[in-house]
Amino acid sequence: MNLYEHTIVARQDTSPSQITQLTEKYSKIVEKNDGEIVQIENWGLINLAYEIKKNRKGTYIHFKIKGNGQLVKDLESNEIIDKNLLRYMTIRVKKFDLKNNYFTKSEEFEKKENDRRY
Amino acid sequence: MLKKKRAGSKNGKQSTFAKLSIFQPNKYKFKKSCPLSLKGAPEVDYKNIRLLKKYMSENGKILPSRITNVCQKKQRELSLSIKQARNLALI
Repeated sequence: MNLYEHTIVARQDTSPSQITQLTEKYSKIVEKNDGEIVQIENWGLINLAYEIKKNRKGTYIHFKIKGNGQLVKDLESNEIIDKNLLRYMTIRVKKFDLKNNYFTKSEEFEKKENDRRY
Repeated sequence: MLKKKRAGSKNGKQSTFAKLSIFQPNKYKFKKSCPLSLKGAPEVDYKNIRLLKKYMSENGKILPSRITNVCQKKQRELSLSIKQARNLALI
């Protein structure tokens, strides 16, 4: 069993109900492949650094998954044909970092302040 | 040493590290230790955009370690996680 961090970026005009649908759809796939979801984070609508398929913003959903390699294959083969998604990325990690939340609102505020200072 | 000074002053106003200039006191010029391997230093991670942006130029390029004094091991981690963040359009 490996530990994976999996992030998907959905298009900017997806409704909140569609996003819950997406998370359910992919968590079902994980469960089907004997995987275990440790945590799901919804980072919300974030400005993209560059345009992807004429989208300026994207909704980020972040999974922390415990499972084997076949699971990742199955996930990615489903995501590549999903029209609501812009990007996906899977990264294997040695241990999960459950403390730090880099995408909460207060952090963003601090970030802006810091940028001004420099 | 000469090279280091020149690179620092050339980058000038752009980033935090480029504030190193000839006119600053000695302790900044000869600072050699890696800022990421100190005790209590933050871990390099593709989600920590605030940290990664410190080691990039304004144009989004990765700064060389001879300017930022990052050790070789951490520089490898940095460049990998910067590329991962670029793929997700975070940077």
